[in-house]
Amino acid sequence: MARPTEFQGSFLSRISIRRNQIVSMDVNHEHELEELEYFQKHVAERFSELITSPSPHHSSSSLSDAAAVSHPSDPILSIPWLQNLLDVFMSCEAEFKAVLSTTQISKSQSLERVLPEMLDRILKALDLCNAVVNGIDSVRQSRRLAEIAVTALKQRPLCDGSVRRAKRALTSLLIGLNADERRDRNSGGSGSSNQRRTTSRSWSFGTRSNVTGGGSYGQVVSKNWSATKQIQAMVANLVLPRGAEASGPVMPVYIMSSVMVLVMWVLVAAVPCQTSSILVAPLPLPKHQSWASAAVNIQERIGEEMKRKEKRCGGGGGLMEEMQRMEKIGLSLMEFAERFRYPADEEEEAEVAEKVDEMEEICRGLEVGLEDLQRQVRQVFHRLVRSRIEIVSVLDQAPAI
Amino acid sequence: MAEFDTKLPVSGEKNHVFEACHHVVKALRASDNNLDANLRKLLSDLESHLLTFGIADTKVEDAGFSEIKERFKEAVKIIRSWETNHSTILEAGLSEVNQFFQALYDVQSVLVGFKALPIKTNQKEKDVYNQATVALDIAMLRLEKELRDVLHQHKQHVQPEYLAVSSRRKDIVYDESFVSLDDEVVVEASSHEDDQQISDFSNSDLVDPSVIPHIKAIANVMFACEYDQAFCEAFISVQREALDEYMVTLEMERFSFVDVLKMEWEDLNGAMRKWTRVIKIITQVYLASEKQLCGQILGDFESISTACLIEISKDTVLSLLNFGEAVVLRSRKPEMLERFLSMYEVSAEILVDVDNLFPDETGSFLRIAFHDLSKKLADHTTATFLKFKDAIASDESARPFHGGGIHHLTRYVMNYLKLLPEYTDTLNSLLQNIHVDDSIPEKTGEDVLPSTFSPMARHLRSIVTTLESSLERKAQLYADEALKSIFLMNNFRYMVQKVKGSELRHLFGDEWIRKHIASYQRNVTNYERSSWSSILALLTEKNDSVRTLRERCKLFSLAFDDVYKNQTHWSVPDPELRDDLHISTSVKVVQSYRGFLGRNAVRIGEKHIRYTCEDIENMLLDLFECSPSPRSLLSSRRR
Repeated sequence: MARPTEFQGSFLSRISIRRNQIVSMDVNHEHELEELEYFQKHVAERFSELITSPSPHHSSSSLSDAAAVSHPSDPILSIPWLQNLLDVFMSCEAEFKAVLSTTQISKSQSLERVLPEMLDRILKALDLCNAVVNGIDSVRQSRRLAEIAVTALKQRPLCDGSVRRAKRALTSLLIGLNADERRDRNSGGSGSSNQRRTTSRSWSFGTRSNVTGGGSYGQVVSKNWSATKQIQAMVANLVLPRGAEASGPVMPVYIMSSVMVLVMWVLVAAVPCQTSSILVAPLPLPKHQSWASAAVNIQERIGEEMKRKEKRCGGGGGLMEEMQRMEKIGLSLMEFAERFRYPADEEEEAEVAEKVDEMEEICRGLEVGLEDLQRQVRQVFHRLVRSRIEIVSVLDQAPAI
Repeated sequence: MAEFDTKLPVSGEKNHVFEACHHVVKALRASDNNLDANLRKLLSDLESHLLTFGIADTKVEDAGFSEIKERFKEAVKIIRSWETNHSTILEAGLSEVNQFFQALYDVQSVLVGFKALPIKTNQKEKDVYNQATVALDIAMLRLEKELRDVLHQHKQHVQPEYLAVSSRRKDIVYDESFVSLDDEVVVEASSHEDDQQISDFSNSDLVDPSVIPHIKAIANVMFACEYDQAFCEAFISVQREALDEYMVTLEMERFSFVDVLKMEWEDLNGAMRKWTRVIKIITQVYLASEKQLCGQILGDFESISTACLIEISKDTVLSLLNFGEAVVLRSRKPEMLERFLSMYEVSAEILVDVDNLFPDETGSFLRIAFHDLSKKLADHTTATFLKFKDAIASDESARPFHGGGIHHLTRYVMNYLKLLPEYTDTLNSLLQNIHVDDSIPEKTGEDVLPSTFSPMARHLRSIVTTLESSLERKAQLYADEALKSIFLMNNFRYMVQKVKGSELRHLFGDEWIRKHIASYQRNVTNYERSSWSSILALLTEKNDSVRTLRERCKLFSLAFDDVYKNQTHWSVPDPELRDDLHISTSVKVVQSYRGFLGRNAVRIGEKHIRYTCEDIENMLLDLFECSPSPRSLLSSRRR
């Protein structure tokens, strides 16, 4: 450790030796390999924790009604699951820094290339975190709208006034959940969406600001900023290290970058964000590598959810499990509201009461969940800021080759 | 309205119903002391209605219900008439406002009355109830619109002309070679004026105070009717939009992290300057006023008032905080120190205001975020300050500085330091626990001001010590001893002048100034010795022969020419110093020459004397004028 120049010499020669496929490694490199192996194992283990679903009646359709009320394992894309994901990210991040601290002295040209790229990715991730924090606020607004609908539909006897009020709240809620009206226009043929739009127009005649869901949470990061574009830019120069580099210090940087991009991608898929395009392209993860297999699995499952949502209402972000349930119940409450005739019979009242209770339950969960999630995203943000500063100082201190 | 026209049936049970209602209302009023004022008014209204109807009813059957029906019909008509009316009720006048609220009370009375009824009511009565719920909802929606419109039409902005970003001070231009910061930088302490302006406006109203009672009435009614969520949504969205708009008038753009890290120094400098100003206005003026507005309107519901303030401000506040977070990720260029200092200074100053704005648990995340950022800015600013010294220490030159004048590093550092006394308190608190080697380690007799021994003063002296070492190294590059002395003299003189002529003098102290004056005076002596001693030695004759005298005279002239040729290119920019130097050189050289000629002129012979004493005197005045090309000896005789 105390002889950096000598060590660099041996490191450079090692590269040429490895090119000739001769296995000749010094103690330091063995240590490096151990660290790398440990890191990969850690990533694999932590990510597979996220996809174990021990409950048998909890099939792939995690968004079914069965998952609605307190389930032992957290359904994918639900707030508790997202919180676990962020925990996993934090722990991988900590491990990564441990690996980096053992490799920093053997600063290589390849590291010199990939670390600045990683710094750039972190920067983009910081903007993404901010967009997500803001997106969570728009979910919070959806929750408030759902609460208005709940309050209104809990009135007994149920009468036209309350239903009218509920319908208004549900209209805004459903528009908000579908992120923007453009999609309504695109799927123009569907009767319900037309209905939705006209209803919305008739009630909000006097509103000068767009109170519908995500509308007022528009440009949060900066002009023309798009979450999807950021993620694409993060992946653009992310290349799987090959040959000698695959066992060198470049590998953990690649793995950590992939983890970071994946986590950001999941957040952007789950939470409505400022974005220009709708579909988020999946990342090229090396399926065959052990650390990536669980991550690939997660990616595929979220990809399926995305396709399902796209078929239903034109895709877009906001795959958060709670939001999808909210939308589903919201739609059925909307149907109820539209066919409602005063006075309701007891059977109808009981039926709607059940749905309202369910909606209330979601709202209750969101009240705490969103706050916690937002705080955690902010923590990730601060962790990334710290990491970036640390990596910069590693790069600054390392003697130039 | 067709159903509505059907006559309400008259029933014998009616008296009981009224009595029941009356009873319920009374019980409700008695039981709950925490009832909202408006609800209480509503109940007592209802009570009096019930009383009248009840009495009337005992006398003439039907009359009561038809009166209810009439009042209700009238109320619905009033509410409906406003449903499609796009002007505000407030504009229509106070009587219209009262009429609307009265109509609303009437509708609400019907609702409360029916709710108190036993379950078994007939269909017609149920229909009236249903109509009433719809009327209430229409009224609530109308009030929501009224709220938005009134807030929007009567909003008032903190006058932007008072908030224009001050551009009086010249910026430090980004330059790694230390050449840009020149003498013309004038420090104007504008921040105190800013304080003045801000305190003048700290009680500004975001909404015309005359409409507050109307808004408050809307709030109370909507809350009483359990439309509190709708009220808050509308209130928050209008106010948030107003804040967004205000940010636009302040020209505070939103920047992503990527933007901030990529930004050119000049743009970033402008954005940082703006931030410093905007965050102060937003926290000390705008949000303080917003909090006041929330309190005026929702004062009876404190937790809701707090929650609204957070929702309104959160987005903007976070974007401002993010800019600070992003700036901290920039590398620590010395040029950025002043901006960092002012950003840190403001971030520390507004913490009190932030704590007042978001005092409780719900606002803790914003409060903490502000405190975190202030801490980060403190660390970053300190690091940038300390890096300044490293940058000076590592500034190396390969060639001697032309003409021995004032090196751009000296100019840069001294003019830079001159900007810092404005941040004395801030720097002292930042540097408090950072040790530094100081050229004046202990209090001595000469310096009595505590500021001379403050952490900042010690660090500034240390920076100048680093500058001095750098100048010593640069001086070694001169082959000519005399020029080396001129170089050091010039630069030390410059340092002393900058210190003496600014706030820096209290920080550097008299002893430092005295020592440094002595230092450049020593260089003056050194110059005279190394430049003139050997030449003047030619003029000390000892019983020399005529030939030797002529030789001495000739050698002197040649040596003088040589000095003249060289030293007219040298530079002593300080006119006072140059005059002093001219005078003292002249005194020595001309006197010696005059003495020499006086004693020997006759023996040497006029044709062997090239320069008269006047020639020498005049030519000496050309020295240190930093002339661009070798001066012709003849043309120099201008004075």
